[in-house]
Amino acid sequence: MKLKLDTFLRSVVLLLFMGLLSTSVSAQRTVSGTVTDSENGEPLIGATIIIVGTGQGTITDFDGNYSLSASEGAQLEISYAGYTAQEVTVGASGNLDVALLAGTVLDEVVVVGYGSQREKEVTSAVVSVGSEDFNQGPITDPAQLLQGKVAGLQVYNRNGDPNGNASIRLRGLSTVGANVEPLIVVDGIIGASLNNVDPADIESIDVLKDGSAAAIYGSRGSSGVIIVTTKKGSAAGGINLSYSGQVGASNPVNGISVMNAQEFVAAGGTNLGSDVDWLDEVTRTGITHVHNVSASGGNGVTNYRISGNFRGVDGILDNSGFDQFNTRVNISTRAFQDKLKVGFNTSFTNRESDFGFYESLRYAVTYNPTAPINGADSPFPFNSDQFGGFFEALGLFDSFNPKSIIEQNTNTGTKREFNYGLNLGYSILDNLTLNVRVAQQNASNANRTYYPTTSLFRGNATSPTRKGRADIYNDNASFDLYEAYATHISDFGKTALTLTAGYSYQQNNFESTYMSLGDFPNNDIDFIDALETSQDLNNAGFININSDTSPDEKIIAFFGRANVTFDDAIFLNASVRREGSTKLGEDNQWGIFPAFGVGVDLNNYLNIEAFDLLKLRVGYGVTGALPQANGLSRAIRNVVNGSDGSVSTELVRAANPDLKWEEKAETNIGIEFEAGKLGGTIDLYNRDISDFILERNVDVAVYGVERRVENAGKLNTQGLEVALNYDVVDNGNFAYNTGVVFSTYTTELEEFVLDAEMRGNLGSPGQNETEMVRVKVGNEIGEIWGPVHLGVNDDGTNIFDDINGDGNLLTDQASALDPDADYAVLGNGIPDFEIGWTNQLSVGGWNINAFFRGAFGHSLVNTFRAFYEPVVSTQSSYNFMNTELKVDGLTEARFSSLYVEKADFFRLDNLTISRSVPLGDVTAISNLNVSLTGQNLFTITNYTGTDPDPALGDFGAASNGDSVNFASQDPLVPGIDRRNNYFSARTLTFGLNFNF
Amino acid sequence: MLLFFAACTDLEENLVGDITEDINIEGISTGDDQGGSDILGGAFAELRNSGTAFHSSYYSVNEIVSDEMVIAAKGGDWFDGGILVQLHQHTYTPVHSFITNAWNGSYNAINTCNELIANPALDNSQISQVRALRAYFYYRLCDMYGNVKLITSPGMDEVQSDRAAVFAFVESELLDVLGVADVSAGFDPSGSALGTDVNPFRINLYGALGILSKLYLNAEAFVGTAMYDKAALAAGYVIDNGPYQLCDAGCSVSNLGKRPAVDTDPDELSGYAAVFAPNNDNNPEHIFVVEYDEVSATGMNFSQMNLHYSSQFTWNFDAQPWNGYATLEEFYNSYESGDLRREASFIVGPQLDFGGSAVLDYASDDDDIQLSYTPAINELTPNSLREAGARPGKFSFKQLGRPEMNNDYPIIRLGEMYLTRAEGLARAAGDWSLALPDVNEIRARAGVAAFGAIDADEFLAERGREMFQEASRRTDLIRFGKFNDAWWEKPASPAHVSLFPIPQDAIDASATGNPLTQNPGY
Repeated sequence: MKLKLDTFLRSVVLLLFMGLLSTSVSAQRTVSGTVTDSENGEPLIGATIIIVGTGQGTITDFDGNYSLSASEGAQLEISYAGYTAQEVTVGASGNLDVALLAGTVLDEVVVVGYGSQREKEVTSAVVSVGSEDFNQGPITDPAQLLQGKVAGLQVYNRNGDPNGNASIRLRGLSTVGANVEPLIVVDGIIGASLNNVDPADIESIDVLKDGSAAAIYGSRGSSGVIIVTTKKGSAAGGINLSYSGQVGASNPVNGISVMNAQEFVAAGGTNLGSDVDWLDEVTRTGITHVHNVSASGGNGVTNYRISGNFRGVDGILDNSGFDQFNTRVNISTRAFQDKLKVGFNTSFTNRESDFGFYESLRYAVTYNPTAPINGADSPFPFNSDQFGGFFEALGLFDSFNPKSIIEQNTNTGTKREFNYGLNLGYSILDNLTLNVRVAQQNASNANRTYYPTTSLFRGNATSPTRKGRADIYNDNASFDLYEAYATHISDFGKTALTLTAGYSYQQNNFESTYMSLGDFPNNDIDFIDALETSQDLNNAGFININSDTSPDEKIIAFFGRANVTFDDAIFLNASVRREGSTKLGEDNQWGIFPAFGVGVDLNNYLNIEAFDLLKLRVGYGVTGALPQANGLSRAIRNVVNGSDGSVSTELVRAANPDLKWEEKAETNIGIEFEAGKLGGTIDLYNRDISDFILERNVDVAVYGVERRVENAGKLNTQGLEVALNYDVVDNGNFAYNTGVVFSTYTTELEEFVLDAEMRGNLGSPGQNETEMVRVKVGNEIGEIWGPVHLGVNDDGTNIFDDINGDGNLLTDQASALDPDADYAVLGNGIPDFEIGWTNQLSVGGWNINAFFRGAFGHSLVNTFRAFYEPVVSTQSSYNFMNTELKVDGLTEARFSSLYVEKADFFRLDNLTISRSVPLGDVTAISNLNVSLTGQNLFTITNYTGTDPDPALGDFGAASNGDSVNFASQDPLVPGIDRRNNYFSARTLTFGLNFNF
Repeated sequence: MLLFFAACTDLEENLVGDITEDINIEGISTGDDQGGSDILGGAFAELRNSGTAFHSSYYSVNEIVSDEMVIAAKGGDWFDGGILVQLHQHTYTPVHSFITNAWNGSYNAINTCNELIANPALDNSQISQVRALRAYFYYRLCDMYGNVKLITSPGMDEVQSDRAAVFAFVESELLDVLGVADVSAGFDPSGSALGTDVNPFRINLYGALGILSKLYLNAEAFVGTAMYDKAALAAGYVIDNGPYQLCDAGCSVSNLGKRPAVDTDPDELSGYAAVFAPNNDNNPEHIFVVEYDEVSATGMNFSQMNLHYSSQFTWNFDAQPWNGYATLEEFYNSYESGDLRREASFIVGPQLDFGGSAVLDYASDDDDIQLSYTPAINELTPNSLREAGARPGKFSFKQLGRPEMNNDYPIIRLGEMYLTRAEGLARAAGDWSLALPDVNEIRARAGVAAFGAIDADEFLAERGREMFQEASRRTDLIRFGKFNDAWWEKPASPAHVSLFPIPQDAIDASATGNPLTQNPGY
């Protein structure tokens, strides 16, 4: 990280030294000037200016300006932490500007809410990751830059779909009914969208892990905060043009073991005469291109950076991927004797997606391997034309020709995001600044899905009427942010105090329209652009239309913070935020969120020689969490239309005017140390989530409906995070650095409106009402709960274990919560611990970066196996799973321990070999760097499914063409590997970077 | 700055995208819509929403626990955690989701009724209709759960009433809206505010009397007090004074399920079959029915629930059926050959598609790829054959049908009133021969010979044949003491299962108010 900002705490400390010495200044000439960073021209705040030999001196103010009295010819020493000190001689002129060269970085600066602090002063668990430490390769989702890099941060893109987003969790389950994903702050703009930031434009990412740091953000910080700082322009040496490009090739890995045609027929499957590897038919080598171009420069007053980023990504599933263009402009300038600082940034992203159909992968697993691709190869008379030439096995539930799905149908979308942010900073006094921030974001999606008249999958090809379907969806989301805060610095001898106070106004709006209709004339054209041809327009009830507009969803807050530094070794932070939300019950809209933290630089007092740094910090903070939906405190009704124009309504959700904040209180104790080559951080935390928000059963007799949203219970999480870094060798030519992050946590349900309940339905075919995860008071979250399979009876049914030995086998689903049930915890969906292991090796001009990642102790329900591994007699036209865990002779599909697999894994996630190519001065380009990156190169695991990554939340079951809502997941149901996954890929990428 | 702050602390939530207020708008009656243009539509729609004819609620729990319907687990399909086996074998528990749904649906309906009764825009006749409707939902609760809370205004809480109190409430409400103090010889409800207009989507005085007759018929089973004479009097009043007629030969509608290429498909459905056809509106036998319409009054999915996947091609459905409900072989065989009701009620044998070709099942369990429904079912679980079981088809299907059906579903029809009067007279006098005149009236319409003599078992079988698929069998079996007997793939069950358990969800949720107590035995 670059040193750009500083706080006044340090300057105040420095003043302590100065104060003693600056008492006897003789009447001399006044010298003044500005101290700046020689690279980017940014003023250095709090730089020390000492008149050599006198002990007299001063420090620079907010704008890097200083003024002192000195005689001509006197030597001034200008120093600043992290920069090389410089001596200058006072000349005839009274003006003396100094530019300092950045030297060894001693004090890293960490961005915290509404300001920044020296790392030393931070009293909470904050991790800063610079771009040099990001995961390499063609990564589109900025969250994945951090996968495995930050202890306690889980980033899993199980649904390895290039168009999908990763699930992000900080310290596990932080909320039940609210947004489980951390708050994203981009260049100070809270609630910004990560989708509108190209990874190539990111300078650094700071992760605020605990409550004491996040509390200043109030409700939106409850799931942690990820602060993204984008690259800025620099004043050094005119215009700097740079290019980086990557081209990569992805192939599917870890397919699912199914029977081939011969095995399938031998197992009693219906033989349709062909031999097809369906997975092979619908997947491909996906080629990805990334091109990033940027230009930056400035004159020291006004600096800019402009970048353009193109990504063309082909998924491993046929006809899936996207093309994305992103541009970003950052400009900063100063005016009014540098009292006013203006920062402006804007970005725009346009993504044209081919979503494809993950169902094609799903049915490729289960489709009859003897079925022909084309109807012409059908073993019996078959009307191929009706199905676009493809074969379809008619009369089956949940069965569609996977090749037909992906070839005939189109599923496309355009996503546009635009945002801008304006920051104004004004120094009212030397020690008082006011900041005003205005930001707006706008995001829109326009999705089009078209099923031609010959598609069986959602296209109704079997119907003589109603053939074909077109779905159109549009939405628009906007976010407005207005914030103002003031910072005041004061100094009381050994103690320095920084006060910050401000106001924040956030408003979200969302509107959407959806339309679905069909019955098109033929397949001559895609009638999605000619909906007037739909025969559904002539028949009532076939057209689905809905529209929605959210209320003005507002968060309004007042906040304040005090930072106290004592002796430059003891640091106190305290903050409070009072926040109100439109989403809660009328009497409970406002909440107060306090935080307190203390940090002590122990070695300042202990002076243990082995340690370069030994710091202890303790933080406590309260944050709130808001439900995702609006209007949950209110009664909602549905319209009941009569056939003749009469209209009535019925209650569908009862009001809960008492609905209040879900509250999270977190205590964090951390130790940071550096001892020679070894450095590390250890954090311990305890987190209580009370009044979590969940839709609950209420007495239907009283409320009229059985559901309403309530504050339903309490969760406790305790965790440990360790990050260690060791410089094994560094002798100039050869350097090896290795680092490990380790995290573990357990979450227990402490209170709930029920003693226990089952969640996570397995689904169709035939396994509805089969809930696999138990949520029980006093137990950990994530318990997979079911009967234990021992073997097979002669009739092909399961032998289950009489676990309690009472001679009475109670294994039916209805008895899951019966005290006498023969049920056991079959695994837990949440890992016991996770590790990330970074290795950096440099030899000569070569750099090798190997990153390993693993999660241990978690289990997954392999739902493909649960449905399709037992050779059930009547499903002889589905393919069967064929893993090494298959139990011969089992002909009964019942959920049990048989399908719960340990999913521990250790993976070479990323291996990058790069080399800087030395170039002579004559070439037009400089700093040429080439790299080769492999992602997901190997995985050690016993899991038989596609991907052993933990499934942190559940999207529910879907079958027979139903859609999965990937936007909504149940965080109380981890550990279920559904059939709706895109398959993970192995990617090899060649990369090139150079400057012009 | 302060002004700015003050202006920006407004947190009023304006839910523009949701409906938060009750709306009741009268429609425009065109004269031939059998009513339904009044503001009672929302309340009567609750008959559909509470699961009268869709899967997983009221209809399912009443049918699958009886000996007339079953859902067998077909390999990987329809096991569903064993909940269907539980219903068949009477091993259901308080966490059974269908039993929970039936409870919730009934109380959702009662809440809508209570809201409407509190609406000052209603006139006396309308309030009476909604009270009668609410009484009917409490009749269902009394039948299924027995001991429930009697809630009569929105948001109120009450202690749990015992079954006798629920029975008494239903009786008094119906008597009150009928304008009579009692049902006894010569009683005269003609002054009832319910009136006598024929409007089967609403409750007139005959509809209310029909509900009351069902209540009285089951009084002994429900609360231990025989009231068979009152059942016979109430049903008799409807038969004697109502404008309704049994739909017999000559009472016909066009056959909307006909395939032009299949000669055996009749052009018209007449008699018994017409009562339940997709175009059964205005059937003279209908006294109080649930209105269904594939567009505007949805909630009947029998084509989906009952038929094999491939039967889609017989009727050209635009959605694939689910291959669920079938009839027990023994029940199917209880019809004698020539009984018009058997033909009207079941789909059996080899199936032809719209063009007259064989319907194929590519995953057929036997070597014959043509779909052919067999009355015999090989086993209940785990591997019932896909084509096993005669499929219920009394609410018959139309060509190009949607997943939602049009057939109106009788709650009270004249045919049942004959059976109620027959049974009431017989039981009141202890002489089953008194049932013969009414029973033979029904049998004549079914095209089968009159009985010369009858006993309780034969009466129950006759009632079964007539009332198949009308969610009556469970209540009838209980009243005849047969519900706990053993039948196919079902051992004898304990007596307590005659009442469903109070759903565990409801018991848990009631803990914060007046707590509900579980029914005995669970």
